Amino acid sequence: MNQTPLIHLVDDDPAVRDSLALLIGTVGLRVRPWAHPQAFLDGFDREAIGAIVLDVRMPGVGGLQVLETLREQGADQPVVMLTGHGTVAMCRRAFKGGAAEFLEKPVDDQLLLDALQAAVRQHVRARQRHQGDREARERYAQLSPREREVLGLIVAGLTNKEIGRALALSPRTVETHRANLFGKLGAPTLAQLILRYAQLAEDDAATPP
Amino acid sequence: MPYRTAPRWAWPAAGLSLAAVGCAWLVHNDLASRREAFDTDARIVHRLLSQQAAQHDAVLATLALLQPGDAGAPSASPEQRLPALYPQVLTVLRRGVGESWPAALAGAETASAASRRPVLADPDLARGQYTLVQAGVPSSYAMRIDAGAAVPWADWPLARDGPVRVTLGLGGESWVLQAGRGDPGIWQLAAAKRLASESQPFTVLVTRTLHAGELPWGRLLLWCLAAAATAAALAAWQHQRDAARRAEELLRLGQVGRLNALGEMAAGMAHELNQPLTAVLASTQAAQRLLDDADGPDLATTRQALARSVQQARRAADVVSRLRRLVQPADSGAATAPVRLREAVDGVLYLLAPQIGSQGVQTDLQGLDGVPEVQADPVALEQIVHNLVQNALQALTSVPPGQRRLVIGAASDGARVALSVRDTGPGFAPGALERAFEPFFSTREGGLGLGLSLCESLAAGMGGTLTARNHAEGGAELTLTLPRAEAVPPGNAT
Repeated sequence: MNQTPLIHLVDDDPAVRDSLALLIGTVGLRVRPWAHPQAFLDGFDREAIGAIVLDVRMPGVGGLQVLETLREQGADQPVVMLTGHGTVAMCRRAFKGGAAEFLEKPVDDQLLLDALQAAVRQHVRARQRHQGDREARERYAQLSPREREVLGLIVAGLTNKEIGRALALSPRTVETHRANLFGKLGAPTLAQLILRYAQLAEDDAATPP
Repeated sequence: MPYRTAPRWAWPAAGLSLAAVGCAWLVHNDLASRREAFDTDARIVHRLLSQQAAQHDAVLATLALLQPGDAGAPSASPEQRLPALYPQVLTVLRRGVGESWPAALAGAETASAASRRPVLADPDLARGQYTLVQAGVPSSYAMRIDAGAAVPWADWPLARDGPVRVTLGLGGESWVLQAGRGDPGIWQLAAAKRLASESQPFTVLVTRTLHAGELPWGRLLLWCLAAAATAAALAAWQHQRDAARRAEELLRLGQVGRLNALGEMAAGMAHELNQPLTAVLASTQAAQRLLDDADGPDLATTRQALARSVQQARRAADVVSRLRRLVQPADSGAATAPVRLREAVDGVLYLLAPQIGSQGVQTDLQGLDGVPEVQADPVALEQIVHNLVQNALQALTSVPPGQRRLVIGAASDGARVALSVRDTGPGFAPGALERAFEPFFSTREGGLGLGLSLCESLAAGMGGTLTARNHAEGGAELTLTLPRAEAVPPGNAT
């Protein structure tokens, strides 16, 4: 999580590749240049934080095709497309394929660097959100069925008394369950609990066991 | 647009059926007129023979009425002079009171006495003879008649050795008055009618056969030739029209192909130039950033970036010069020859005639024949005129059909000849006039913007100029000025 973001730069033209790599390097981002789209697809680190710069027009596998392959394979790095002469159709295809940005060559430095930094920030946030989701799911899995029921009713806004009536439990038992689930889920306050687990509880209630 | 053409057999088939219908009509008409003539002849024959029979009756009746006295003196027998008067009368017999004559005549005499008119006796149609008997008091008469001699040949409507056969029939027998042509033919014309005489109830049978040889072969042949000629002419016309349409389509395809090639070239060119430009821009901007580095500039890397930038700028220049070599005409101006402007204009107007017609554009040619020939490359000249006229037609689509005029005029000042193409369209918009010859500048949706620029290059290649202005009366006017043809003595041309 703390490593410097890595930018993958895929362009078949060595002059373009080298100069863009130098430019991107000046703002302190690490750059990994790739000359062949297929080599990139086969070899890049999918876990690393970063972004991808793709030239649209490349021999063999074209940039748009690489983009679509990345999405099929579930890679989550944002992609910035570069093209010499963009058409509306090409642009639409790129955004449908999930491109974060579509820039025309020759590209102005500020435009490219802003786009890359925005892409990296977006990737970091996405990864954190993903991380949080995974933690929450793991904690949620530790709850007993009764505790999940109680959580669902808490999220629905019921008081302990109302929950006890709904589940035919004494308020005291409800209180015990409540304390346990707060402990298991690691939520310091009710607000935190609802913020992080409301979605999970609702999804769980919606799917019958 | 449907491109179906009639199958190869269509015109021959059409020609054949036209010939067949025409021939049938001709034959039918010919037969009808022959039948009419035949019927007329048959009627005349019947009338003449009937008159003759009536005459025989009248002669006998006269004899019976006159009753020239008792037998005795030869002069008292005037009936004996009848054979001399009428060649058909062979003999005349008289039976006076108490006399007797052959039994056949006696029977007829009894019948005649009963009916008070002449009666036929002893017909011998094999020899063409018969006898008429008239009972009378005191004398009865019998007259032997030769049917063949009775025919009034002077008034006869038929040629005696002609194709028509005429017979007299009675019972199963018949006497041939005229043999006609007995051989069998394709068609048979016949008319049978009894003589209008109660005493001589012969049936006149007139027949004639028609032969294939009698058909109007001359007219039939003429008609067939005419039908074949018509079909051939129509086939040729259609073939020509198809060929013209095909040529037009090929031309259109060629133009589309050229446009595609141009688009492809533009895309390739954009990529070829964008690559080095991207590298130049990225390298120099990286160098700027390196120089601005707060920790002090990394001069080695900066120098490297600038060197790359220089190198890539050269690469871009190479692309441009390669492109220029590619599109430059091999040897412009070498193929010029004296050309009549009129020919170039006519050629273009012919090619664009469908478009001019469908748009309802009124074309006006002024002074084209009054100018000297120009020194030009005929193909390039036609290409320029084609472009100018096409632009004019394009501009005219934005005014109502009634106001669409295209004026092509020519003028000469001696050394140079100017050809102007003017339309009554909206003219150049302000700002567009200055940029009209700029490559890739177009006011048309989807236009490449190369037309006028190319025309200008072509004109310049021939030592001419192309100028544009808005005409005082509205509309755009493009003027192509070319040098007048060099005075090359005949036979000295290169």
